[in-house]
Amino acid sequence: MPKVVYVGSDGVASAVDAVVGESVMVAATKNGVPGIVGECGGNASCGTCHVWVRAPYFEQVGPPGEDLEEDLLDLGVSDRRCNSRLSCQIQVTDDLDGLTVDVPAEQP
Amino acid sequence: MLRTEINELLTQTGPGTRMGDLFRQYWMPALLAEELPENDCAPVRVKILSERLLAFRDSDGRYGLIDEFCAHRGVSLWFGRNEESGIRCAYHGWKYDVTGQCVEVPSEPETGNFCANVKLRAYPLVKVGDILWTYLGDPAQQPPLPEFEFVRVPDEQTYTSKRWQECNWLQALEGGIDSSHVTFLHSGQLNSDPLFKGSKGNDYNKGDLKPFFEVADTDGGLLIAARRNAEEGEYYWRVTPWVMPSFTMVPPRGDHPVHGHIWVPIDDENCWVYTFDYHPVRPLTDDELSHMHAGYGVHSENVPGTYRPMANKDNDYLMDREAQRRGEQFSGVKGIAIQDASLQESMGPIVDRTKERLVATDTGIIKARQKLRKAALALAEQGVTPPGVDPEHHRVRSAAIVLPHEQPFQEGVAEAVVARPGVAQTTV
Repeated sequence: MPKVVYVGSDGVASAVDAVVGESVMVAATKNGVPGIVGECGGNASCGTCHVWVRAPYFEQVGPPGEDLEEDLLDLGVSDRRCNSRLSCQIQVTDDLDGLTVDVPAEQP
Repeated sequence: MLRTEINELLTQTGPGTRMGDLFRQYWMPALLAEELPENDCAPVRVKILSERLLAFRDSDGRYGLIDEFCAHRGVSLWFGRNEESGIRCAYHGWKYDVTGQCVEVPSEPETGNFCANVKLRAYPLVKVGDILWTYLGDPAQQPPLPEFEFVRVPDEQTYTSKRWQECNWLQALEGGIDSSHVTFLHSGQLNSDPLFKGSKGNDYNKGDLKPFFEVADTDGGLLIAARRNAEEGEYYWRVTPWVMPSFTMVPPRGDHPVHGHIWVPIDDENCWVYTFDYHPVRPLTDDELSHMHAGYGVHSENVPGTYRPMANKDNDYLMDREAQRRGEQFSGVKGIAIQDASLQESMGPIVDRTKERLVATDTGIIKARQKLRKAALALAEQGVTPPGVDPEHHRVRSAAIVLPHEQPFQEGVAEAVVARPGVAQTTV
């Protein structure tokens, strides 16, 4: 099982064994990772699962693919950076083992 | 979901604001033609985009929209006398024509040329359909007049009403592009309202309470499509066009007239809702017209002599808990227009969108906000003319259509969402 690491704004890291095919948001909410809300259930509609993807994984994960994700990052999140993504739109794969993301102090 | 600064950007439309500059690119309804019914009739105070203006119709039938206040010492010209091709201030008799030019200052010597140098701010005011339209932007950039189908069909095929809504324009518009509330808030009306009942589409509406939403970009705005199950292998699609900044059309039901709205900011905490109903190929019947006048469909019953609804926030919208319990109305408030107004006004004058929680059915709202924001910034930073200014973008229609599962809605409605003179609406 690939591991995903979520680092909170307080610096505390939570490591989760994720299931291939599920989203980085679902892996977090299933395991009670603080700071990832996922209010809309993964539809790229609410903007409450924003993360910053750490190097070198961001290159693998890539920029937002969907228009709607782009819109939400533009309009909703408190601090959009070049490595911002909605974690509901990132699918866990074996290649992403070790994926590390920073979780903002506040979701909108 | 929305950051504070973006909420402010989208909701503030006064002079000098970015969204105010955006609105000033478009022709907008200033008042209904019925408000200035004849030459030399009473003038009307018009507040639009936070500017206080006076509309009048002079002795020669020319329409004027000028600064409400006399250049002399600032009294309202509404108290003035509309006579002999101009409005004369009631205080000291200064007189202005429809261009805002001062044409007479009776106290000054006739030999002087004082009044030639006095001119009030003035905007064009043009009748198209039942509406007097104005354009508050740079005269050099004035676009061609509106070509929305409801103002271009013959008079007997169209009807427009208006009502005052006590909240910011954007939360009213957002109600117009959020089809998912219809299933709940307006559920009582599909069976009973004379302007809705008796269409096959209503059965599909009521048979599938979890519509799926798709949104597609258009040159002038968006198409917002709600998909519900129809017969085996088919979907029932209801497609709402939004033309920037604030025109929307509700998908048709049966052969009933088709309706829609234009929301116009009065100031940041009030807006006018212009509501139209028209049939592309036939006159409205006497029955239909009397129902519209009585506030059925999407119209409202207003306090006589005003455009304030009878049911308003001062009387809790005449909410009837018993009717709510019996299920006649989901919210206990009567009439679609007032059901919308009551809830949108309940959010407060300008809702704090940083606190909202959006879901999948809010896609149209997210997309619309993004288009408005991008257009306002592109205008401010690069002078780009926004979508919806070109009258070509006005020639749209709503549609209700049944399509096979495999057909994408954009393809299936491509023809149906274009206004074509003499061709009936596409409806179920």
